[in-house]
Amino acid sequence: MKKIRTDILIIGMGGAAQLAALNAFDANPDLNIVIVTKALQGKGGCSRMVQGGFNVVLNSADSHEKHLRDTLKGGQYINNQELAKTLVEQATPTIKEMETRYGCFFDRYPDGTVHQKPFAGQSFDRTVHKGDLTGIEIISRTTEQIMKRDIRILEECRALDLLADTTGREIVGALCVDIKQGDFFVVEAAATLVATGGGPTSYRFFAPGPEKTLDGMGMLYRAGVRMVDMEMLQFHPTGLIVPGSVVAGSLLEEGLRGAGAYMLNSLGERYMQRYDPVKMERTTRDVMSRSSFLEMMAGRDCEHGGVDMMAAHLGAEFVEKNFPGMYTRCKLFGYDLARKPVPVSPAAHFMMGGAVIDTACHTSLERLFAAGEDAGGVHGANRLGGNGIADSCVYGRQAGKSMAQYLKQERGIPQADERQIEHLAANYLAPFARTSGPSPLTLRDELREMNWTHVGIARTEEKLQQAIDIIEKIHEEVLMVQLTGTGGRAYNMVWQDWIALFNMLDVSRMISASALQRQETRGAHFRLDYPKQDDRYGLFNIFLNRGANGKPILEKRPVALKYMRPTDVVN
Amino acid sequence: MANHAPKTRIIKVFRYDPAVGGPGHFDRFELKTDDESLTTILDVLIRLQKTQDLSLAFRYACRVSMCGSCGMVINGREALACKTILADLKGEEVTIRPLNHFPVVKDLVVDMEPFFRKYEEGLTYFHAARERSEPAIIRPDSRERRVIESSTECIACGCCVSSCTMANWHKDYLGPAALNRVFTLLADSRDGLHEERLARSLGSCYHCRTELNCTEVCPKEISATRAIKYIQRLAAKEVLKPGSTVRSDLRELMPPQSTAPAALTPEPEDLLPAVPPPTLASRREFLSRTTLGIAALTIVFLGGVLAATALAPTLRKRPEKWVDVGQAEDFPAGSVKTAQIRYPVKDGFYESTVSKPVFVSHQENPDQFTVFNSRCTHLGCMLHWDDGKNLFICDCHGGQFKPDGVVKAGPPPRSMDRYLTMVQDGHLFVQEA
Repeated sequence: MKKIRTDILIIGMGGAAQLAALNAFDANPDLNIVIVTKALQGKGGCSRMVQGGFNVVLNSADSHEKHLRDTLKGGQYINNQELAKTLVEQATPTIKEMETRYGCFFDRYPDGTVHQKPFAGQSFDRTVHKGDLTGIEIISRTTEQIMKRDIRILEECRALDLLADTTGREIVGALCVDIKQGDFFVVEAAATLVATGGGPTSYRFFAPGPEKTLDGMGMLYRAGVRMVDMEMLQFHPTGLIVPGSVVAGSLLEEGLRGAGAYMLNSLGERYMQRYDPVKMERTTRDVMSRSSFLEMMAGRDCEHGGVDMMAAHLGAEFVEKNFPGMYTRCKLFGYDLARKPVPVSPAAHFMMGGAVIDTACHTSLERLFAAGEDAGGVHGANRLGGNGIADSCVYGRQAGKSMAQYLKQERGIPQADERQIEHLAANYLAPFARTSGPSPLTLRDELREMNWTHVGIARTEEKLQQAIDIIEKIHEEVLMVQLTGTGGRAYNMVWQDWIALFNMLDVSRMISASALQRQETRGAHFRLDYPKQDDRYGLFNIFLNRGANGKPILEKRPVALKYMRPTDVVN
Repeated sequence: MANHAPKTRIIKVFRYDPAVGGPGHFDRFELKTDDESLTTILDVLIRLQKTQDLSLAFRYACRVSMCGSCGMVINGREALACKTILADLKGEEVTIRPLNHFPVVKDLVVDMEPFFRKYEEGLTYFHAARERSEPAIIRPDSRERRVIESSTECIACGCCVSSCTMANWHKDYLGPAALNRVFTLLADSRDGLHEERLARSLGSCYHCRTELNCTEVCPKEISATRAIKYIQRLAAKEVLKPGSTVRSDLRELMPPQSTAPAALTPEPEDLLPAVPPPTLASRREFLSRTTLGIAALTIVFLGGVLAATALAPTLRKRPEKWVDVGQAEDFPAGSVKTAQIRYPVKDGFYESTVSKPVFVSHQENPDQFTVFNSRCTHLGCMLHWDDGKNLFICDCHGGQFKPDGVVKAGPPPRSMDRYLTMVQDGHLFVQEA
């Protein structure tokens, strides 16, 4: 098996991975850095798909304290305050470097200074953006910067599993597969960063690109990394419904509701009157999503199983002019956003949970770092719009600097355990030897439906208990899959879809187990059987590790209110 | 919303199995779709894979036209599969094949390595002109931002390169996507690699034949043609600028009569950026790598211009004709005036009217009219008559001609071209070839 030995291995190539590579290289250009990305260079990941923008304090009338307060309030006070503080403080130098070193050009005020727009849940207009395609600007420019430097990119190569030393406490690299050729290879590294992004595509409706399959969190869990807040999965309220199309779930931006768009059920009612009569459709993402979901569950769903978003009353001209991207996206499928209701549904959007890290991105295992959506704790129970790309870029930058620092001490490149490699590779090839068994594509549909109905927007103890059993049953079937008719290993998409299922299953295990444990409603986590947020219950986080039987072992711990208490935030 | 009846289509998909090799072939599928107006070509491929052939390979990632992974040739035209609606494709059959000019990995999946390599060759990355701690103050209505517009929104899908008939014709052609990015960086006042980047694109930008294919197929509605024309104009101007590193390499290659222009007036074209000179450090960093390239590319550049000049006369095959310039008395003795001549021409099936200025110089001798072609003999820019200076002036590179058409200053290699003239019935005529 081919082996690559390097100082730094970076898994993923979105915002966090790229900023890490750039910062590690700039700190020490002698470091050998290898990026392994499942997609073409710079084309994978969710950073590229960011529409809204990047929250950052640039104005002297704004402050890091205000940004921190907004972030904690949005996160319903269970954020890791140390991480949230670093996020808001380091966002400022990060966005400046984006402009001055990497060549991004964000929208300007007429006087030529960087424009900042309002976004939900913020006490100050602090979202830096480039039209409604902010992610393309950031990722296109940083990808060019990677190209400029001597950083090796292995594109369309997928990291399958982290490799540990014999003690299991130290990560020595990763087993990977070259998707184009179908061959395995090993990268051994003195330091490894997992920055694949999340992307909960394990639900019926999802917003991220289908290429996102929770690989990072799956491999972190299997390697024994400590995880946190896994029950916290954000649903975006308005994913477009396109029956039978892979485009389903792609987002219609929040600005539409901000501008006054209504949400209607099949009876034509503005159902938000029942759930939040004050803020109506301008309520937060979590409340909006769960209200729509409850309407759908109550049988008041519209033609395609969702609800309707209505913007026509704002005036056709206004909608076309102010939301050109959204108007065009709808128009492609014959929906007229400016004149008629458009079918939408809440869509799985973002994982607030992930690997436990400190502000230097160390995980619970030696030589292993995590950043971006694969890491947890920054956003608590709910992420603010505009804090996602900020998180990826800030913590990617932190990770890059931190790894360069870590490698200042001579650590050597360790050797991977051959037996572990052989064992893993044999498992990944097993379905080619079978001639009968289920199809991975059918099992993926099953898992998506199950998660949607059992571990989705509205959760109950009964459904979560069922889910935990169903996940194990699907896992057993996944182990019996056969790949007859899918061709050889070279660019075998169905084989890759099968591999993805292991990651989706592990993340489903973590979400359902944590969700069962949190017997209250908080932020994105809504329990039908505990519909109220219970502050007396105490502010806590749920930590977990993989147990010997593959199931998570959970631990509740109180939140360290290091900088602000909920009372400080409210006042 | 649109409700369309179910429809069955024949989908022909290019197949290539790397384990088998060979030239590949097309497979014919039949696919029934409930509502074609809600179905993209990406959906079609996903369904074919799921229901008819599990081995079918194609590439996609974001599925909402943001990543540029699913570029392919659909019914003969480059497009993103995720942005192409089945109902919009006319006819019974749909043919899908991989992008042109790229090696096929499997079925519709191509190796994009040549794309990224070309991209890299153009130095298509930002390099700060100077260290800054704060973002530059640049107004959104500034000339540079109006020029750059949305051209930075390229998603590197490769559709333009596939559609370009010149992309695989010249080894050194960077192609539309890379040149588009070169253009946005050349126009960006914050960037410090102006001359190095221009040198890299010199040998390249003249390979464009202005077919506009790239502009037509771009899913982000970016015009690489516009970008390339910008670089061409900038190159022509920059090459002869005094003190330019590009020029210093060129000097030995230039014909001996090409001396440095006395003065440079800005081109009246709106597409000109204010570009600061690169810093010494950035120059040093790249000159070592680019000097050889500059020499090679400038030879190609010059060769192209000279070849075009030499070929030009042989391409004119229209019969000679006398064209009326106006009444002779309108051009008093001792004056130089600009007149517009108009005449119809027929090129094959195509008819048009030529309208162009000429200069009429009436010398002291009452019957001595001289009519000059208004094009500069250097690179063909439009001259204008300056009454105050009593000179014909070229704004492109500062060429100057005396009233009798003889070169006074600048790069023009010869006197101004003259027409044959005659006066008949009080009208001045020139012979147009």
